[in-house]
Amino acid sequence: MSEEKPTPVINADTRPFWEACRNRILKFQKCRACGHVRWPAAYLCPECHSLDTLWVPVSGKGTVFSYVVYHVAYHPGFLSDVPYVVALVDLDEGPRFLSNITGCSPDEVYCDMPVEVAWEDRSAEVTLPKFRPREA
Amino acid sequence: MGALESGECRYVMLSYGHSALSSDGMLRMLGEFEVEDMVFGHFGAAAAYALAARRAMHVYRTGPGTWQHIAIGQRRWANLNPRAMMYDRPMSAEEYFNARWHVEPFRSPDNCLITDGGRACIITTAERARDLRHRPALVMGMGHDHPARSVYRTLDFTGGTGAKKAGEKALAMAGITLGDIDACEIYDCFTYTVELTLQDYGFFGPGEGEDWFRDGATEPGGRMPVNTSGGLLSEAYFMGLTPFTEAVMQLMGRCGERQLGPATRTKDPEIILCSDNGGIFQSHACYILRRP
Repeated sequence: MSEEKPTPVINADTRPFWEACRNRILKFQKCRACGHVRWPAAYLCPECHSLDTLWVPVSGKGTVFSYVVYHVAYHPGFLSDVPYVVALVDLDEGPRFLSNITGCSPDEVYCDMPVEVAWEDRSAEVTLPKFRPREA
Repeated sequence: MGALESGECRYVMLSYGHSALSSDGMLRMLGEFEVEDMVFGHFGAAAAYALAARRAMHVYRTGPGTWQHIAIGQRRWANLNPRAMMYDRPMSAEEYFNARWHVEPFRSPDNCLITDGGRACIITTAERARDLRHRPALVMGMGHDHPARSVYRTLDFTGGTGAKKAGEKALAMAGITLGDIDACEIYDCFTYTVELTLQDYGFFGPGEGEDWFRDGATEPGGRMPVNTSGGLLSEAYFMGLTPFTEAVMQLMGRCGERQLGPATRTKDPEIILCSDNGGIFQSHACYILRRP
């Protein structure tokens, strides 16, 4: 029997992010004062504390900073997924995003591997940005 | 310490207690901090430290080949400690490598234990301690550092954690160098934490851990005993109080079969360094204790 996976808790900070995801657009906040592109979503810039913020689309391209392979399901919703990969992806525009690597076996993932966004519908309301290998 | 020295209070008790094994408290505590991560099947501290460890494997020579020495060495200490959860469970290298993966690159014995129980330590002034029934341990130096950056923004997965500055401050306050340390009690939530902490303290350079830990260096009979109770990996999980109280007990000479000195073919301990670590390498404390 499969149990539902967790869904994002959407709040005022993260709503623009998840709404863009539904349209398969990856967007992050960019500080208009210093240019820093940030994740997680936050009210002010963690670099310069400016409140002046713009949501900007990014290329969806990046590289794997690090990754792990879950062989244990800590939530029943992931029982049929193990072994699966969780990775920190460094996007070309700066932010580091935690997601899954799909489209290859866990053995094929490596640090600094070039990846690109691969959209996955979790439900009618939620689409998740996952990542798959790409040509460098 | 300031409150004791100013006379504002006479005794301070550091304590920790948890029914972590018989309840789901530990899992809830670890799983609760990043809701967004759970969407992608990412839960808690083990995987976050495993992410750090995997990056380190990419940057310098480390991995299970290094961590086996930490897991097995601490297990040998636990086998001398009747209070340790792993007291009667020896572990060979073969058993380490055959253990199942949890969050790869960590196998089961790379992870700390989950324990029901607690531990406490009483701190007072050196003057008051002088005529107590037991010989005390004295605080020589301490240092703290809290980089606090989240895993999304961390710069120090592979070195330069809070241990670096905290260790320097503690050594400076104590007026000693690493060469004066007789043993270490290191916060060991995962094997890699022990490696990175000792590396940041300066015991060895990045990637040199595998050679430094080799040949039982940190085990009973070794040149630098580490985590002599079995630690969080093989004794019990009482947060920073597992390493801290073990340092105190060793300096008091109350450790029985695992007592540092002739009983374990190690140096008689004059000075012991211990560490505590919080978050995902986000905060660090280093304490140096000595015999009176």
